Amino acid sequence: MELTQRLEIPVSNQVVWDALNDPLILMQCLPGCQRFEATAENCFEMTVQAKVGPVKAVFKGEVMLTEMDPPRAYRISGQGQGGVAGFAKGGAQVSLVPAGTVAQPATLMTYVVIATVGGKLAQVGGRLINGAARKIAKQFFTEFVRIVCKQEAMDVVIETIQGEG
Amino acid sequence: MSNELIGARVLRKEDNRFITGKGRYTDDINLAGQTYACFVRSPHAHANIKGFHISAAENAPGVVAVLTGLQVLEDGLGGLPCGWMLHSKDGSEMKQPMHPIMAGEKVNYAGEPVAVVIADTYEQAKNAVEQVAVDYEVLQAVVDTSSAAEQADIYPDIPANTCYNWELGDAEATSQGLAEAAHITRIELINNRLIPNAMEPRAAIADYNTGTEELILYTTSQNPHLARLIFTAFVQIAPEHKLRVIAPDVGGGFGSKIFVYSEETTISWASKKIGRPIKWTAERSESFLTDAHGRDHHTMAELALDEEGNFLALNVKTTANMGAYLSTFASAVPTYLYGTLLAGQYRTPSIYVEVDAVFTNTAPVDAYRGAGRPEATYVLERLVEKAASELAIDPAELRRRNFIGKDQFPYQTPVALEYDIGDYEASLDKALEMSDYAGFASRKDASQRAGKLRGIGLSCYIEACGLAPSALAGSLGAGVGLWESGEIRVNPTGSVTVLTGSHSHGQGHETTFAQLVSAKLGIPIDDIDVVHGDTGKMDFGLGTYGSRSLAVGGSALSRAADKVIAKGTKIAAHLLQTDAENIEFDAGEFKVIDSNEGKTIQEIAFAAYVNHDFPIDELEPGLTEKAFYDPVNFTYPAGTHICEVEIDPDTGVTEITKFTAVDDFGTLINPMIVEGQVHGGLVQGIGQALLENCVYDTEGQLVTGSYMDYCMPRADDVPSFDVGMTCTPCTHNPVGAKGCGEAGAIGSPPAVMNAVLNALGQTDMDMPATSEKVWQAIQNAAASN
Amino acid sequence: MSETVNLIVNGQDKAVSCSANTTLSQLLREHLMLTGTHVGCDTSQCGACTVHVDGKAVKSCTILAVQVDGSEITTIEGIANQGEQHAMQAAFKECHGLQCGFCTPGMIMASIDLVQSGMDLTEPEIREGLEGNICRCTGYHNIVSAVASAGQKMREA
Ligand code: FES
Ligand code: FES
Repeated sequence: MELTQRLEIPVSNQVVWDALNDPLILMQCLPGCQRFEATAENCFEMTVQAKVGPVKAVFKGEVMLTEMDPPRAYRISGQGQGGVAGFAKGGAQVSLVPAGTVAQPATLMTYVVIATVGGKLAQVGGRLINGAARKIAKQFFTEFVRIVCKQEAMDVVIETIQGEG
Repeated sequence: MSNELIGARVLRKEDNRFITGKGRYTDDINLAGQTYACFVRSPHAHANIKGFHISAAENAPGVVAVLTGLQVLEDGLGGLPCGWMLHSKDGSEMKQPMHPIMAGEKVNYAGEPVAVVIADTYEQAKNAVEQVAVDYEVLQAVVDTSSAAEQADIYPDIPANTCYNWELGDAEATSQGLAEAAHITRIELINNRLIPNAMEPRAAIADYNTGTEELILYTTSQNPHLARLIFTAFVQIAPEHKLRVIAPDVGGGFGSKIFVYSEETTISWASKKIGRPIKWTAERSESFLTDAHGRDHHTMAELALDEEGNFLALNVKTTANMGAYLSTFASAVPTYLYGTLLAGQYRTPSIYVEVDAVFTNTAPVDAYRGAGRPEATYVLERLVEKAASELAIDPAELRRRNFIGKDQFPYQTPVALEYDIGDYEASLDKALEMSDYAGFASRKDASQRAGKLRGIGLSCYIEACGLAPSALAGSLGAGVGLWESGEIRVNPTGSVTVLTGSHSHGQGHETTFAQLVSAKLGIPIDDIDVVHGDTGKMDFGLGTYGSRSLAVGGSALSRAADKVIAKGTKIAAHLLQTDAENIEFDAGEFKVIDSNEGKTIQEIAFAAYVNHDFPIDELEPGLTEKAFYDPVNFTYPAGTHICEVEIDPDTGVTEITKFTAVDDFGTLINPMIVEGQVHGGLVQGIGQALLENCVYDTEGQLVTGSYMDYCMPRADDVPSFDVGMTCTPCTHNPVGAKGCGEAGAIGSPPAVMNAVLNALGQTDMDMPATSEKVWQAIQNAAASN
Repeated sequence: MSETVNLIVNGQDKAVSCSANTTLSQLLREHLMLTGTHVGCDTSQCGACTVHVDGKAVKSCTILAVQVDGSEITTIEGIANQGEQHAMQAAFKECHGLQCGFCTPGMIMASIDLVQSGMDLTEPEIREGLEGNICRCTGYHNIVSAVASAGQKMREA
């Protein structure tokens, strides 16, 4: 599945970029994430508990940041093994464009999410994967905006450009 | 054979145990000291295996053993064979990848077993499976049937992922026919991939006795003898005299339980290793992934007609998906069970068919109810209906114009078969009358006034059943002869044990065969028991598939009964002190002609075992006789199915308002059972036409792997049926029966699709005609107008 | 972790110790050896496992044994009355409403509940009522006749 979305964040490009590279923030944003540790530069190990339809599993896997183009873009991609539940692969190509002014900085963030599953997850949860990936993306980026803006209950408006919103 | 029992609706002898919960299916059996197996399956469709990590699982609670595909390799076990060798057009042998019972180095479809965990309880085995880690190097999967040949090779020694390029018929004459045609109708079709879904998931218990070195395997098989042969001769798990395969009550098969699979083979091998019984029962998810799937063809066809609508030539080009490995009969299904049926009920003088079989990273595909014949019927009957619409000829009339006449039999088709007998017009006429075909126009008007779309569709199918004349099958590549055996033991007190090499998993052999033997021997049906499904009781048999049991297995029993009568006649002659020529047998009695002297068969049976004064050189004691029957030809059931549908254009939902099936199965022993077979087949065919579809995503993940995603027909998806019969008895077997198990699934899909397309006023759509697809077709048509 | 579940099964008191995650179908098949109740799927879709819990049809694979503690359970083995078949059993045989027999116990248990629930026994109602049970063999035609015929007898009785 593929989904392109866009949102505006009322902080500077650099602040957003730094946050995107902070494992602690990434961990807080990822729903069900129990562990997120750097193993090498731009490489992390994670443990995530996730549920897709009737299949619930703990995924162990790694996350990599590639195609680094600071402070404008990178690709975050991960894959996890869920044992008999199968595996999940996913990621997002994220790009940032400054918007706003020096006095009122803002950043336009666009991301393309892709996700695939395999094994039992595909077999009995396959038809739910789009919804699940969309939900995870929404939770992730909403939480991300709230953290970088330091506003816990902030309304985050996400605009869908491509893919079923 | 004339007797009131032939053609009687005798209630089934087997039912009492099933309706009281006393059936005994494989999973109902438990053995002392039994362990449980749970398989580790590949989550990837195509990957190299880089390593197994099993020590955590080995140390998990209750685990007895963890075995991987590497040990299979080390032990040098043979692969699972395909029993039908085919040759390509150029004479080369078909390509056959090694099919290991568990993969050790490379996996080729998602769900393929790579390791097995055996533990004291099922939960322990299942939990320990989680602890087995396998390292994979994921490779690009080949999934799509039509483009498989152009994609990267799955196996290094199999170029273009092609198993064979096969042909049948006269290419030249066919292109000549096309060149001379006044009209050519062309069609491109996908025959959707199906998952058989017998309601009982596959299961097995392997019990190896270290003292006797005997292995007993209980398994959900349609043909336990074949399983034993393969285990012994190919996989080499145990010698035949030390291997007993029992298929107890089996909860449906539809083809999927013919084949020898990885799991039962693996636990047989493992039971020998651990010296304890091992039980394995598939979860439904495992059945979806690993039971051999059915159909999956991509076809282009063209039919040439003259001005009057006479068929001149038929040209067909099909790509068939074999899946990742060649299952037991896979190679024969899209060739000798498909190409040979393309003449249908018609006189088409020239036919040419080419079939390319391809490998993909999907579960193996093999025979599923009908096997090849539904695919052939689908191509032909969609094509004929389209031609009728293009030429504005009534579809029933176009068919009638091209039928092989009832006085033209035996009829040699241009695609190898010789039909022995049939009367296609009789079935068509009866179906037209039963369906009130003439009144359709007014029903359509009524629907239209109610805002609904009504359509009617026909299908005139033929099948070749009663597999198979061994010599013919052998010359076409079959690895075994396809005769059947039957044995009749008349016990000393006159009861009868009938043994058959065919197997019942819903077909009702225990009743039909008892009826047959009762009719022949005049022994009450309640005194006759039919035993099947145990290699320890019957020495050999070929099992049940291809609608063969009555036509072939029943014929063997009919022969055995004749032998019993012959022997009984000798005994009677001895007891009554006359010559055998003076004895006639009728309704259970051996009578001296022109006298009132005689002996009942029960008296003869008793004498056969207890007598002291047989002239032992001429007359042996006992009254057990056995016969083998090898048919001289296939049987050719045929008929007409007519489907009428009403579509709600707002929702795209198709309702089947009437379905008429008229079939010619030759002589019927038990019409109640025959009609039941027809009903079941029809619903499987309607399921294919409207609901069922097996879907893999582009990475080879099965995304229709549960009953939530794979739409099975349920009671409110289908109507009740109008079933009628015509009869031209089979000319070459002693019973006159042709076989009825598959007809419903063969005839119905094109009838349903023709009806849907007739309602929509369109000519192209692939199965399944789901409400979404139908709705979309209505929208598209509206948009382009 | 073992729990004791007290049940009345086919009229007999049973105390079964099983783990907390044992389903009712497992308890019946594996602990009480009542193998007439079948398991045909792992997603609560097929109905082969249907039994009666306090008189209502329930898919026994979908409910934990501990959840039915104290209940009265009836399985296919328990519906005959002193050796006389239940009208529904007899009708399934009479109408040839079964072939391989695997779905049959669940079908019979679901059908009895259907009749007892008092709904009209027209063909569409019966078909809709059996929607939770899959049969791959019979095409449902004869099952529908069996339910209609037994239903009439049950209501007359
Ligand atoms: S086993 Fe319970 S619904 Fe299928
Ligand atoms: S009788 Fe076989 S599934 Fe219903």
